[in-house]
Amino acid sequence: MASVDSRRMANGGSVAGAFQPHLDSLRQELQQGDPTLLSAVVAVLAVLLTLVFWKFIRSRRSSQRAVLLVGLCDSGKTLLFVRLLTGLYRDTQTSITDSSAVYRVNNTRATSLTLIDLPGHESLRLQFLERFKASARAVVFVVDSAAFQREAKDVAEFLYQVLIDSMSLKNTPSFLIACNKQDITMAKSAKLIQQQLEKELNTLRVTRSAAPSTLDSSSPAPTQLGKKGKEFEFSHLPLKVEFLECSAKGGRGDAGSADIQDLEKWLAKIA
Amino acid sequence: MLDFFTIFSKGGLVLWCFQGVSDSCTGPVNALIRSVLLQERGGNNSFTHEALTLKYKLDNQFELVFVVGFQKILTLTYVDKLIDDVHRLFWDKYCTEIRQQSALSLLNGTFDFQNDFLRLLREAEESSKVRAPTTMKKFEDSEKAKKPVRSMIETRGEKPKEKAKNSKKKGAKKESSDGLLATSKAVPAEKSGLPVGPENGVELSKEELIRRKREEFIQKHGRGLEKSSKSMKSDTPKEKGKKAPRVWALGGCANKEVLDYSLPTTNGAPEVAPPEDISLIRGTGPGGQLQDLDCSSSDDEVAAQNTKPSATKGTLGGMFGMLKGLVGSKSLSREDMESVLDKMRDHLIAKNVAADIAVQLCESVANKLEGKVMGTFSTVTSTVKQALQEFLVQILQPQRRVDMLRDIMDAQRHQRPYVVTFCGVNGVGKSTNLAKISFWLLENGFSVLIAACDTFRAGAVEQLRTHTRRLSALHPPENHGGRTMVQLFEKGYGKDAAGIAMEAIAFARNQGFDVVLVDTAGRMQDNAPLMTALAKLITVNTPDLVLFVGEALVGNEAVDQLVKFNRALADHSMAQTPRLIDGIVLTKFDTIDDKVGAAISMTYITSKPIVFVGTGQTYCDLRSLNAKAVVAALMKA
Repeated sequence: MASVDSRRMANGGSVAGAFQPHLDSLRQELQQGDPTLLSAVVAVLAVLLTLVFWKFIRSRRSSQRAVLLVGLCDSGKTLLFVRLLTGLYRDTQTSITDSSAVYRVNNTRATSLTLIDLPGHESLRLQFLERFKASARAVVFVVDSAAFQREAKDVAEFLYQVLIDSMSLKNTPSFLIACNKQDITMAKSAKLIQQQLEKELNTLRVTRSAAPSTLDSSSPAPTQLGKKGKEFEFSHLPLKVEFLECSAKGGRGDAGSADIQDLEKWLAKIA
Repeated sequence: MLDFFTIFSKGGLVLWCFQGVSDSCTGPVNALIRSVLLQERGGNNSFTHEALTLKYKLDNQFELVFVVGFQKILTLTYVDKLIDDVHRLFWDKYCTEIRQQSALSLLNGTFDFQNDFLRLLREAEESSKVRAPTTMKKFEDSEKAKKPVRSMIETRGEKPKEKAKNSKKKGAKKESSDGLLATSKAVPAEKSGLPVGPENGVELSKEELIRRKREEFIQKHGRGLEKSSKSMKSDTPKEKGKKAPRVWALGGCANKEVLDYSLPTTNGAPEVAPPEDISLIRGTGPGGQLQDLDCSSSDDEVAAQNTKPSATKGTLGGMFGMLKGLVGSKSLSREDMESVLDKMRDHLIAKNVAADIAVQLCESVANKLEGKVMGTFSTVTSTVKQALQEFLVQILQPQRRVDMLRDIMDAQRHQRPYVVTFCGVNGVGKSTNLAKISFWLLENGFSVLIAACDTFRAGAVEQLRTHTRRLSALHPPENHGGRTMVQLFEKGYGKDAAGIAMEAIAFARNQGFDVVLVDTAGRMQDNAPLMTALAKLITVNTPDLVLFVGEALVGNEAVDQLVKFNRALADHSMAQTPRLIDGIVLTKFDTIDDKVGAAISMTYITSKPIVFVGTGQTYCDLRSLNAKAVVAALMKA
C-alpha cells in the first residue's frame, strides 16, 4: 500500500520526489507507532502554525492605507477631499466629525487608499488625530496660503503637534504640506511658507521645552524636533516632509476644475 | 420669508441648500457650528447670529444637520414643523444614499430637493396663515421633534392601529385603504380569543403574559404572511409619505388608552394590547436598562416573524429578547438614556462640577446621542459614558493658542512689555500665583516688573515686596549681566489702580522689562463699584492677557463668578469687541484630590483655556493642565 502511494507521488512531481526518502522514513516511523515522534511532529506543526498566524496578524496591522487630511479650520480639507474623490465642486461647512472614503489611485497598479478628512476645529482636532494616527500611511497637512501670514503661529503649533505625533509612531508616515488656495492672488508661495514654518517651529521648540510640566508627571518627555543646537530645518527630521502648491477651488470659480494634479501624483507615489 | 435652509452632513458636506436671499449661508452656519454644536451648548435649538435667527435639528443616526435661517425680527411659528417635515421627507426620499453612511455615497448622490421643499414651505406658510393666532404648538409636536427617525418609522405591526385611529379622525377619505388593514389586524386578535386588555394584564402574571404574547405572534405570523404581501405593496408608499400626523412619540403611556379603547368600539371585540404596552404594565418601572429591552420588543415582532416561532416561549423568550438587545443594533432614545444620564449627572455633581453645568452637559450628551445606532456589544451605560468622556476632553481642549512665552518673544521683538493682569475674588491666591509665574518667567530668562495695583488690602504691597526680594535673591543681577531681573512697582495704598498700572507699563517700557504682571485687589463679583474699577483698569491699559484666578475648591459659585466678571468687563468696555477674560489660573489644585469639577465648570462657561494650575506652596508648583488626566480623574467612580 505504501509503495503504491509513493510511486504515485513520485510520478506527481519532482518536488515530491525530493522529499521521498524523508517521507518514507517518516511513514515507517509512524507505522511503528513511536509516540514521541508523533508528538514532536505535532509540536513542530503547532509552532509553525502559530508563526504563520502571528505573521499574518502583524502584516495586517502594518498595512496602513489611510491618508489623513489635517490642518486648521477653513484651510480647505473637505473640499480637497471631495475634489480628490469626485473631481466636482461642493459647498462645505465646518466639519463636526471625520469622513472617510476609499480613493483609487490612478497609477498602473490601481491600488486604493483610504482618505480620511479630519475636522480642523481646535477642540476636535487633537482627539481625532489621536484616533486615526495609528493607521496613517501618509499625512497631508493642508495650509491656507492666503491667510498664512495671520495664522502662521497657529499653523506652526498644530504642525508641531502633528510632527511630534507622527514621529513617535513605529512606522513613520509620509508627510506632505499642501499649500492650498493658490488661486487667490495674495496667496503665499510654498517656498515662503516653508521658511516661515521653519522659523516658527524653531521658536516653538524653545517655548515648548520651557512650558511648565503637565499635571501628571507620567507623560513622557516630548521628543526633540530636529537637531539640537541647530536652527530647525525640515530636512533634519527623520521623516521626509514635502511641500507642494495646490488649489482645491480652481481658478474659475465653482465650475472650474481644481489644480490638484501634483497632489494626485504624490498620492500615487506613496500608494 | 426664510433666508436659507441647508442640509449638511456632520462631515461638512452641504447636501442641499435653499437660498431665499442672495447672501451666502456659509458664514452664519459656520458660526452656529463653532459656537453651538462644537461647544456642547445643548438645550434650545436656536441661535442668533447678527441679524439672523438660526434653528437647527440634528439627525444623529445618519449624522445630518438641518439648519434654517431667517431674519431675527420675524416670528415664524411654522419653522419647527417645517424642519420636522423636511427632515422626514428628506429621509424618505434619500434613505438609500444616507443609510450607507459613507462619504462616497453622499458625494455621488444627487439631492434634487428643491420642488419638495418649496411645496412643504408653501404648505407650512399657508397653514400658519389659516390658523392665525391660535397656532400654539401642540405638546406632542414638540416632543415628537426630539424623537429620532428610526422610532417614527416603525414596524408594520403597529402601523395599522395607528392608521385606523388617525383615519377616523380625518374622515372618510382614507378609510378605505386603512380600514382594510385595520381589520386584517383585528382578525387575528379575535381569532386568538384571548382578551388581553390592560385591565386584565395587571392581574396576570408576567410569564403568562409573555406566553400569550408569543402565541399571538405565532398566530399573527401564520395569517400575516398571506396578508402582508398584499397589504404591504399597496400601503408602503403611502405610509412613508404620511408620517406627519402620528402622535405616539411619547413612549406609549399617553396613548395607551387610545389604543385600547378605540378598536373595541369599532369592531366590538377587545383589542390586543400591543407588546409595548404589556411590557409597561408588567411594571418594569422607568429603569433605562429594562426599558431598553422592552423597546426592542417591537423589533422582536419582526424577528419573530422571520425566525422559528418555537424559539420564543416562556422564559426562553426573555432570553431571546436579551440576546436581541445585546446583538441587534438599535438606536438610542431619550428614555433609554434617562436613568444613565441621571446617574452621570449626580456623579459629575459629586465631583464638584457646578450643578447647572452638569445638567447642561447631560442634556447635550442626550442631544448628541439621541437616535444614534449603538454598536453591537455596547450597553447604554458604556455608550453614554464614552460620549461624556469625549465631551469633557473636548471642553478642556483650549479654544485658542496658549503659548505665553511665544507671545512674550513677539512683544520683545516689538520692544514693548507684555502685560498680564490677574483678577479674581478675594483669597484665591492671585499674589501667590503671580509670584510663581514670575519665577517661571525668570527661569526662562525674561525680566519681570510686578505692579502692585492692590491698593486696598492691608499688607498686599508688603507681600509682593517679600516675593520680589526672594525672587531677586534667586536670580541676582550678577547672573544676568547686571540687569535687574525682577522689580516691584509700588505707589502705596489708596491710589487709583488703573493709574498705577499705566505708570508701571510706561516704566517697564523705559527700563526694558519684558513682562509686566499686574496684581489687582480681590473683589467679589457682586461688588459693582469694584468691578467697574477693574473694567476701567483693563480698558485703559489693554493688557495682552487677562487671567482669571479661581480656586479649584469652588463649586456652584464658579459659574456666578466667571459670568459676572465677564459681564462687568463687557459692560464697561467702550471698544467694539470688549476685552474679556483670556485664560484661567486654577489654584489650590493639590487640595481637592479627584474632585476636579471646577476645571470643567470654568472652561465650559468661558470656553477659555486653563493656562496654569497651582499645585502647592513653593515657587515651582506651577503646572499646565492635562485634559486627559483631569477627565480620567473626573470619570473615576
